[in-house]
Amino acid sequence: MNLDGSAVLHGSPDDVWRVLTDPAVLARTIPGCLALERVGEDSYRMDVSVGVGAVKGTYAGEVHLTDQQPPSSYVMHASGAGAPGQVRATVTIELAPDGDSATVLTYSADAVVGGPVAGVGQRMITGVAKRLTAQFFTAVDAELAGAGAAPVEPRPSADAVSQPRVEPPAAPQPQVFTGRAGVPAGTSGDLRTLALGAAGGGLLTLLGVLVGYRLGRRSE
Amino acid sequence: MTTKLFGEPVRRREDARLITGKGRYLDDIGAGALAAAFVRSPHAHASITDVDVDAALDVEGLVAIYTYEDLTGPLAEPLPVLIPHPQLTAPRTGYPLANGEVNHVGEPVVMVVATDRYVAEDAAERIAVTYEELPVIVGVDAAREARACVHEEIPDNVAARHHQETGDVEPALAASPHTLSFTQYVERSASMPLEGKGVHARWDADDRSLRVHTSTQASTSVRAAIAAKLQLPLDQVEVVAPDVGGGFGVKIVHPWPEELLVPMAAIALGREVKWTEDRREHFISSAHERQQRQEVSVGFDDDGRITALDVHVWHDNGAYTPYGIIVPIVTATQLVGPYVIPVYRVVVESVYTNTVIVTPYRGAGRPQGCFAMERTMDRIADVLGLDRAVVRERNLIQPSQFPYDHHLTFQDGRPVIYDSGDYPALLGKLKALVGWDGIEALRDDADARGKLLGVGMALYVEGTGPGPYEGGHVQVLGSGKVLVSTGLTTQGQGHETSFAQIVASELGVPIEDVEVTTGDTRRFPYAVGTFASRAAVMSGNAIALAARGVREKALRIAADVLEADPGDLEISDGVVQVRGTPGASIPLRTVAVLSNPLRYAFDEAAKQATQFARAGSDDKPPVAEGDAPGLEHRDYYSPIRSTFASGAHAAVVEIDPQTWEIDVVNYAVVHDCGNVVNPMIVEGQVHGGVAQGVGGALYERMAYDADGQLQNASFMDFLMPYASEVPDIVIDHQQTPSPLNPLGIKGAGEAGVIPGSAALASAIEDAVGRRITSMPISPTELYDLMRSETAERTAASGRRTGVGA
Repeated sequence: MNLDGSAVLHGSPDDVWRVLTDPAVLARTIPGCLALERVGEDSYRMDVSVGVGAVKGTYAGEVHLTDQQPPSSYVMHASGAGAPGQVRATVTIELAPDGDSATVLTYSADAVVGGPVAGVGQRMITGVAKRLTAQFFTAVDAELAGAGAAPVEPRPSADAVSQPRVEPPAAPQPQVFTGRAGVPAGTSGDLRTLALGAAGGGLLTLLGVLVGYRLGRRSE
Repeated sequence: MTTKLFGEPVRRREDARLITGKGRYLDDIGAGALAAAFVRSPHAHASITDVDVDAALDVEGLVAIYTYEDLTGPLAEPLPVLIPHPQLTAPRTGYPLANGEVNHVGEPVVMVVATDRYVAEDAAERIAVTYEELPVIVGVDAAREARACVHEEIPDNVAARHHQETGDVEPALAASPHTLSFTQYVERSASMPLEGKGVHARWDADDRSLRVHTSTQASTSVRAAIAAKLQLPLDQVEVVAPDVGGGFGVKIVHPWPEELLVPMAAIALGREVKWTEDRREHFISSAHERQQRQEVSVGFDDDGRITALDVHVWHDNGAYTPYGIIVPIVTATQLVGPYVIPVYRVVVESVYTNTVIVTPYRGAGRPQGCFAMERTMDRIADVLGLDRAVVRERNLIQPSQFPYDHHLTFQDGRPVIYDSGDYPALLGKLKALVGWDGIEALRDDADARGKLLGVGMALYVEGTGPGPYEGGHVQVLGSGKVLVSTGLTTQGQGHETSFAQIVASELGVPIEDVEVTTGDTRRFPYAVGTFASRAAVMSGNAIALAARGVREKALRIAADVLEADPGDLEISDGVVQVRGTPGASIPLRTVAVLSNPLRYAFDEAAKQATQFARAGSDDKPPVAEGDAPGLEHRDYYSPIRSTFASGAHAAVVEIDPQTWEIDVVNYAVVHDCGNVVNPMIVEGQVHGGVAQGVGGALYERMAYDADGQLQNASFMDFLMPYASEVPDIVIDHQQTPSPLNPLGIKGAGEAGVIPGSAALASAIEDAVGRRITSMPISPTELYDLMRSETAERTAASGRRTGVGA
């Protein structure tokens, strides 16, 4: 399955690059991200909760960035598995300046979806992915506008449902970044409110989109 | 004797169940299933440029959304052309879900699956499909003119040019003392079963088996189609037709997109999925029939005997041709009816339009053929000033001429050879039944009351019971219960009764002991389907042969036990006895027990068949060579060709010259379907057929506008006749047995509908004196016709007026 698109972000490619590769920002902007845990150089574990219609649920996955050409391109490899299915995705991201203070981000995702979630229809999967992607970019853009200003500390607050795992203090890793996903991404409601207040959205959530699903199994 | 039930008016055994809400129709199955709904094209002809599902995603309970991109393998290919034919040179079929283009309003584009139908419909409503509209062809004349085309690669819109001829028609016409040429039309109608289509599918992921219930007329072939399209082994697919609330032809088409998509979703989701067609869906996405433009040229002599007949039909086949050119062939070959046509040529051009597909609807091209032939007879009579019955009589095939070969090829690929019939007798009975010779007195009486009265008649011959085959299985259980199964399906024809009558009669058992199962591939996997008035002929005979096989085996086993010659035994009321020797008997149920030699006695009856209880020769194996355990037999009936039923209808109408309301005051039917299994059921079939015939003649039409929008796609606007519109029907029977099958029967299911439009057009024309060239006809249309300066007046009306003046 292919998912291609682009977005205009209000910041220079350098700014965008910085934001997109900052785990703390990602944790805040990925729709439904509960926690993002750095497990190695450019590698992350994360928990995502997705709540769009039938494609609903929580899942855990891994993300790894390669081929980094700051500030113009990188490749994201994502994979995950959960009870309802599994997914593997490769996403190529390219940044190009658009005027003085904007960047055109172009993405091209190639995903392989398996398990029952694969049975819900391509339009549905891509429809959800597109929506979450839009939410993600809206949130990223908000980060860019609202300034990289307030450096966000990991907040073990009430709305951070996933607690960082306790690790031996000696180890420099992992670092855990908590997301804002008090509510699952994409639940019905005002998109902007969701994007700004509760959830983020983004390509990484392709995983969550594809795997986190319940398919109306509530009745089972 | 209680068991000789063949020919008796046994009350339908299924009715108590069906009329007290105990029927099990498709929608009664799968209460917890996910529900499917469809986004269907709102345009008659368009390219699809985008499908946006975003707004649907928020609908709570949405489970899946499928479009063409989700179809894989054979499922992504066009639906099958079920009946290929060399003259179908440009066949086209749709895809299960539209692949970039739609060709009629109602074509499925997106399938939505949700927790229930309400949710599914809500989600479907929010899916935005973007179309780019294309030029639309509606109606046979627009297709013929071909200013635009339905399928880009078929610029003339002609799918097939079906052509048959029995001689050189042009010189024969030129040499005829009289000739006539005229053009007439028949409108669209539809089967319109009260239960629409429906599909339920359940996938068992553990043993990888699929069970599909579908409201179909062809469960075995649906099964094969599902297996082929979903790439499943045949043995992992079961298809069952539950109680089916009417078919009338529309459910013989298969696989409908939904019959593939619902199982596909059930497998993909691992959940039960169901779709039940709603009424609007049935109007715009099932099938219609009937529309034709007919150009007729006929040559005849001074006595009204036909010398040559040349017919050119333009047949509207709708957007696709999944059922091939069966309807055109049936029109072409059944048109000749009970008449000797010395030289006949017929061409049927089957043309594409941007409307719902056209496939057989009860009568299946015969009503149109009958309309062409019978209206020709009326015109000949009018020109020559002869009685319409006399002209018909002079052209009839005589009883001495059977078997009568028309030198045509029928819809089953076999010759049109009439096997038996007595058409002069039919006509004689009809005239007596309707009071044909006393009609002038009735006319005067009506005239005195300010009404216009007219009478019309129409005769037909109907090829029924085409092959290739059907099968039957009969098994006697140790309880005495007799299980009967056949693969073809039932849609209300009373098969549970008529098939049971056949078995009760053949086997000599009480009908109460007989249980009939139809249309369940688990019980009988080989079958063709229920269409072309073939169930009684095909499965009836197959079941009779199977019952005879059981009887033979029962007598053999009983003879052994009773130490008698099988030839001296008879079976009556479920007991085998030595003829004329009271007491020397054995119940058939005991024979059934003994037919299966046992080691283990699982119940009291079984003890009799165990190894120490049975006497038997030490020299013979317990199951004889070539024999099989169990008192059962399976047999098949495969006819050499169709058997030809016949009939004659007459209608008396009274027309109010103020409102032009058309009242059918008398409707007479003489019906010959060979030997009759159950006259009550046959009469019921005739009644139902006449009701649909009257509907097709006076009320029903598919009101498409020029954009291909069906404007009367509901029961508010589509006029189906109520009991108040269906006339009282008087029926007389004639029985000319078929020499082609063991029971001597012919089909009866479609007969009643065939001559309706022809007989009523004739009667209306007789009443008003204006030529009726298009059916159906409404009071408004009749009013317009009467006020038209250009409407043709019949010669008969001129003569009548002349006489009166």
